[in-house]
Amino acid sequence: MNVAGADRNRQLVTVGIGAMLTLVMGAVLILGFRLATQMRASVTGLQTASMLQTYPDAISQQLNSLRDRLEARAYAGQALADLKVTVKRFDEELEQLGSGGYLQSAELDQALLLWHQYSPVVQPVVNFTGQAYVDSDDAGSAFSKEGRVHYADVKRAQLFATENARRLQQQLATVATTLQQSSSDGAARLRTLLLSGVLAALVLAGAAAYFQVTRARHERAAKEAQEQTRDILKTVREGFFLLDADYNIGTVWSEALTRMFSRQDFAGLGFEDLLKDLVPPNTLSTAMKYIKLLWGERAHENLMKSINPLGQLEITMDNGHGGKETRYLQFDFHRVMGPKGIKHVLCAVGDITSSVLLAKELQESQESANAQLDMMLGMMHVDPLQLNSFLDTTETGLQLINAILKEPARADSEFRKKLNGLFRELHSIKGEASALNLMSIAHRVHSLEDMVSDLKKKAELSGNDFLPMVLKLDDLMAHLRGVREMASRLTALKDTAPAAAAVTAAATVAPARAAKQAAANEQRAQLGKSGDDLSPTLHSMAERLAHDHHKRFRLTINGFADVPSSYVATVKDCVIQMLRNSAVHGIEARETRKAHTKDDVGVVRVDFRKSGDGYELVFEDDGAGISPDALKAAAVRKQIITQEEAAGMDTRAAMALIFRPGFSTQEEVSMDAGRGVGMDVVARSVYALGGKIGVSTNPGKFTRFKIVLPAAEAASSTAVA
Amino acid sequence: MLQEQELKTFVEGTTNYFEVAAQQPASIGSPYLTEGSPSVHDYTGVINISGKREGFVYFTAPKAMLTVLLMKMQENDFSHETMRDLVGEVANTISGNARRDFGRDFVISVPSVLAGERPEIPQKPGARSFVIPINWRSHSAKLIVSLT
Repeated sequence: MNVAGADRNRQLVTVGIGAMLTLVMGAVLILGFRLATQMRASVTGLQTASMLQTYPDAISQQLNSLRDRLEARAYAGQALADLKVTVKRFDEELEQLGSGGYLQSAELDQALLLWHQYSPVVQPVVNFTGQAYVDSDDAGSAFSKEGRVHYADVKRAQLFATENARRLQQQLATVATTLQQSSSDGAARLRTLLLSGVLAALVLAGAAAYFQVTRARHERAAKEAQEQTRDILKTVREGFFLLDADYNIGTVWSEALTRMFSRQDFAGLGFEDLLKDLVPPNTLSTAMKYIKLLWGERAHENLMKSINPLGQLEITMDNGHGGKETRYLQFDFHRVMGPKGIKHVLCAVGDITSSVLLAKELQESQESANAQLDMMLGMMHVDPLQLNSFLDTTETGLQLINAILKEPARADSEFRKKLNGLFRELHSIKGEASALNLMSIAHRVHSLEDMVSDLKKKAELSGNDFLPMVLKLDDLMAHLRGVREMASRLTALKDTAPAAAAVTAAATVAPARAAKQAAANEQRAQLGKSGDDLSPTLHSMAERLAHDHHKRFRLTINGFADVPSSYVATVKDCVIQMLRNSAVHGIEARETRKAHTKDDVGVVRVDFRKSGDGYELVFEDDGAGISPDALKAAAVRKQIITQEEAAGMDTRAAMALIFRPGFSTQEEVSMDAGRGVGMDVVARSVYALGGKIGVSTNPGKFTRFKIVLPAAEAASSTAVA
Repeated sequence: MLQEQELKTFVEGTTNYFEVAAQQPASIGSPYLTEGSPSVHDYTGVINISGKREGFVYFTAPKAMLTVLLMKMQENDFSHETMRDLVGEVANTISGNARRDFGRDFVISVPSVLAGERPEIPQKPGARSFVIPINWRSHSAKLIVSLT
């Protein structure tokens, strides 16, 4: 039973005892009053009856006296007067006793009946008013006529009295005895009543005292419980409060709420008011809908827990230094049921900022560890020389990017001028990283490219817009440093293993064989600087592209051993970009190829050969080819040309669109296409070497790019010039 | 890694100073990175930061810019000490802004001021710094954030 119910019951018992005490005392008083009234009537009746017992004898004696005086012709006036008084009193008091209701008894009725016989006999005597004697000289005093009658009445009355006075007296004595008995009974009943009343009062007073003691004990226990509750609410680190049906906070809450919300006015505060300045409007709206749902009788508690939108609430509040800080709070709700359904909703709030931040850090650290592991696994398949060359090139590229950023800028045009340069450098780094399958680098560069793309779309540029980019650049540089350190460790590991093997084999391997091995290593080192080294990288990239774009194709590379070292970088960049284009746009999906009666595995051929004084690079795929109309439509869509310009374009001009900056037929930007900088970069780097680039296509059958490069020496002089 | 919001707090602290003190807002130029000891102007206010991040934040400005700034502030004293005080005041505003936004996560020192031809700039070895040019009128100062 709860505390409030027990308290109510104790109150009911106390009130009941009080009521019973009142009732008992009232009953005792009423009954006692009635008994006392009866007793008083009985005593009065007893006194009257006792008095009346003397009257028959007195009347009889007074009649005798009157008769004697009449016979002696003496003065009888006084005797008659006395008799009159006595008869009158007896008559009155007997009537009073009969009509007083003191007693209903046969003896009283008989006494009344006897008196009713007696009274007519004695009345003529007492009513006599005439002269009983006449005096004459001769006869002296003699009865007058009426005197004789009077005398006869007296004698008759005296005779009746003699015969009945004793009986009347006995009847009145019996009445008196009865009244005396009644009086004694009444007194006994009154005593019993008073005694019962006192006992009942004592019992009830005892009960009341017992309940008072019990109540005091309970109050003491309740006070202690309150103190304990207060201590708990003061100490507990979670915020607790109750919400009523109007979503208002109750009067009791834990002190942790004060720290969490930096306020103290919780009593009666609406839940909406508590959150409205801390969370966005849509979060608040969702939270309020959830609270309303909680009050629904049919809502399942476990289900409600699973959809709690406040399980991890991010709030922004005062940090105590005039600024704002972000905290994470976890709200947990429990319905408190009463006899008539949901009584309250208990809300428990926990500050989970530390654990959320820790989880984030843990996740970041895990992601970083995974990324490092992936990167290390990827790096294990890359030739160390190639990797170092890539890292050097990338570092130079990033320094160039930083140099572009460092150029002073104040106006929009100065900021905007930086974007194209940044884009080209980033795209080049991404292409190479992607080719080496160093995806952690490629993704970082891709996100920088995204930023540059977003800035291009902005109407007005300022230095503030470049802050996120410089942060990303810093991250990329730090990442690159990590990659370099890892590469050094891997190289050291690779160098250690053959050295250990060499020590073991030293006794058995002939010095000539060791010399041969050294020569082979030297040759490999030399190869690393030639275009032949590109093949594994490009094959690896082709595999990744096929996997990422769900395509199947076979890459064939010929003549890369003849690529002069000064052309390696350009050839690599060009082939990477064209390979991407083939994978994304050229090679069709397997089903499409089957529908067009093509082999379901596509073919991409790259041939590098000497041609006249210079070189020729031919890149060809047997994919979908390029539709000039599709190129024109994409260019119009991207607002590179107008509809009218497109209409006036011949096939040759349409095909040239693919070398325009910002041109792409792809709508969505991905890691491998969509930015429209690829072929633009290819063309620029070819032109920079004094070369030429051409494209031929047959829609549905093939696309072929032909790059003509001058002799390497000529290229060097062109570059210098 | 330094967060964008943290960088913005320092930038806003600097630009707000110009807006309030000189009634003329400053804009920021193109930010970039620098390695090693950053090159500074004539006067440099330094804030040492520890806690969640470790390192330094500098505000460095040329004498010409500070002179114009003092003039805009109706100041007639253009002495070396006044210049130092002014740079210190900017650094103090930056640190106040940081205290407001970062709260207890950052422990921010009282700013110190360096001046002279080649002041010894405190720097964490190997740390890369963010350099944010602060353009005000025709002058340019630098906010350098070097935190790890």
